[in-house]
Amino acid sequence: MAGPDDADSDERETNPVISGHDVVKEYVTGGETVRALRGIDFRVDPGEFVAIVGPSGSGKSTLLNMLGLLDVPTSGLVELNGLDVETFGDAERTRKRKETIGFVFQSFHLIPTLTAVENVEVPRLLDRTPRKTRDAATDLLERVGLGERLDHYPDELSGGQKQRVAIARALVNEPRLLLADEPTGNLDRDTGDQILAEFDEITDEGVAVVTVTHDDYVAQSADRVVNLIDGTVREDEEAVTG
Amino acid sequence: MNFLDRLWGAFPAFLMARRNVARAKTRSALAVAVILIGVVAIGAIGAGGVAFQESQFETLGSIGADIQVFAGEDNENGHLTAADVGRIDRVSGQAEIVPLKQANADVIRGGSTAGSATLYGVEEPSALYEVSEGSIPQNWRKGVLVGSTLADRYDLRPGSKVTLRRTVTEDGETVRRTEEYRVTAVLAQAGQADIANPNEAFVLPPGEFDDDVFAQVIVRSDDATTANETAMQIKRTFNGRRQIVAVFERGDIAEQIDEAFRLINLFLVGIGAISLVVAGVSIANVMLMSAIERREEIGVLRAVGYQKLDIVRIMLAEATLLGVVGSLLGGAVTLGIVAVINDVLLGDPFAFPPGSLQYVVVGMVFGVIASLLAGIYPAWTAARERPVEALRG
Repeated sequence: MAGPDDADSDERETNPVISGHDVVKEYVTGGETVRALRGIDFRVDPGEFVAIVGPSGSGKSTLLNMLGLLDVPTSGLVELNGLDVETFGDAERTRKRKETIGFVFQSFHLIPTLTAVENVEVPRLLDRTPRKTRDAATDLLERVGLGERLDHYPDELSGGQKQRVAIARALVNEPRLLLADEPTGNLDRDTGDQILAEFDEITDEGVAVVTVTHDDYVAQSADRVVNLIDGTVREDEEAVTG
Repeated sequence: MNFLDRLWGAFPAFLMARRNVARAKTRSALAVAVILIGVVAIGAIGAGGVAFQESQFETLGSIGADIQVFAGEDNENGHLTAADVGRIDRVSGQAEIVPLKQANADVIRGGSTAGSATLYGVEEPSALYEVSEGSIPQNWRKGVLVGSTLADRYDLRPGSKVTLRRTVTEDGETVRRTEEYRVTAVLAQAGQADIANPNEAFVLPPGEFDDDVFAQVIVRSDDATTANETAMQIKRTFNGRRQIVAVFERGDIAEQIDEAFRLINLFLVGIGAISLVVAGVSIANVMLMSAIERREEIGVLRAVGYQKLDIVRIMLAEATLLGVVGSLLGGAVTLGIVAVINDVLLGDPFAFPPGSLQYVVVGMVFGVIASLLAGIYPAWTAARERPVEALRG
């Protein structure tokens, strides 16, 4: 749990988008309890590009799920914009995700039946503001260089194009935090570079980007690298990756 | 944005549902097909049953409003007399009465007996019968009207001659009398249950019969209720301890037939409804498959901020869409089938009897409801999945 000494350590110039204190996450699989996170502290500031690296099973994905409010900690405190996420019910967490967090996945997870522009609209589709949403989605796709591909279906796009559609989708609700799970994992080096360039641009606008990655060069372009080993954090200036 | 995009924009759940239905074309088509069959089963069986009922009533003739009065078992005359007819007329009030005389005769062709026939004696044949050929003379004193079956059998037309031999009482003696009559009209085919069915009969002027002997009196009321009251009235008037007249009421029979048809139809529609239950199970199966296949997709939707109920709504929209398409197609097919049934049974494809279209609508409504119900469990299953699990793949 967060102690009263937390207040001192958190006094920086800006408030973090999301922060964690002594976060523990345990799973029960096959009767055994697995400690995926063993009491870690973290904070993500606006405009930061953070890379989480570490070997498989080190808890990277668990941490990302925690940051994305897709999962709640077994113990410890996670605060989104200063609010304890444990006080949120499922509906409230879902709403917060929509308002503040964008997701980019390794395998893109675009909806195959929807066109590029419709895929970008998905997070706002239920808002019943079709015209505004269409304009925002079109702007975003133009921004990531897909202005010519609005009405293409996912299977008509290359991997890099799909990932850029996914990034546009993640940005359509103007989030404060963008979470990327191996965003370049399925892409070649050049395409991956384009994606990283997009992330740079996004962070310039004050959006924090947190990515889980295996790739050295992704970690190298990050502002900060969080090295996760066996559910504990080693924060280095230099990337230590496998 | 064009109009169609805006329209779908107003129903985002249906946009996704429509695209998903279009994605798994074969599976959706099969789901639509089972709904269609279910709707057709209910609609066609129900509406077809109504048409069948209607056609049976046409064959049975108009029953219910007529009562027949015969001589009762304690009647010493063994028949009704002119005095009886007068009394019946008085107690029947406004109802029209048709006294009927009756006898049997042999039909003579080429000098020998060709067959037998019933003879009816009626004052005003137009009150009972319809003419298909020729006409009933204004002054009905001679000539004969012939029923349609006999007309066919003996090839009789207006103007033909027919020889009838029968037993009559002349001056207290029983004699065989053979007479030739001229056919003035052929009567239209009558229903099986019509009173004094003329199909196998000749109709003669009452003067051809004994004066004071009536076989029966038909009392025609406006409806079955009045007929029932009149029947009670007649029984009270004539019958004390002894049964002077027997009254044959047809209202009860009409009601019973009606009820029997209704039950049979209900039973058949019930069988049809089972096929809609099967259709519902099939829709549930399709939706479960769809939910399992789209696990990750639904996980993404949950991740980007779709609430559980939003997912339920999208899945239900999909099930409803299948149901609506199936029901609309099923309704159209049903109308086609019922039109054929109408044509066969009632002679006009568009002669939808009252209550017929009701079954088609009921079938369609049940089709949509069955789909919606079938979608609930798969929708809830899909929505309950935790996004983390779904995204892990």
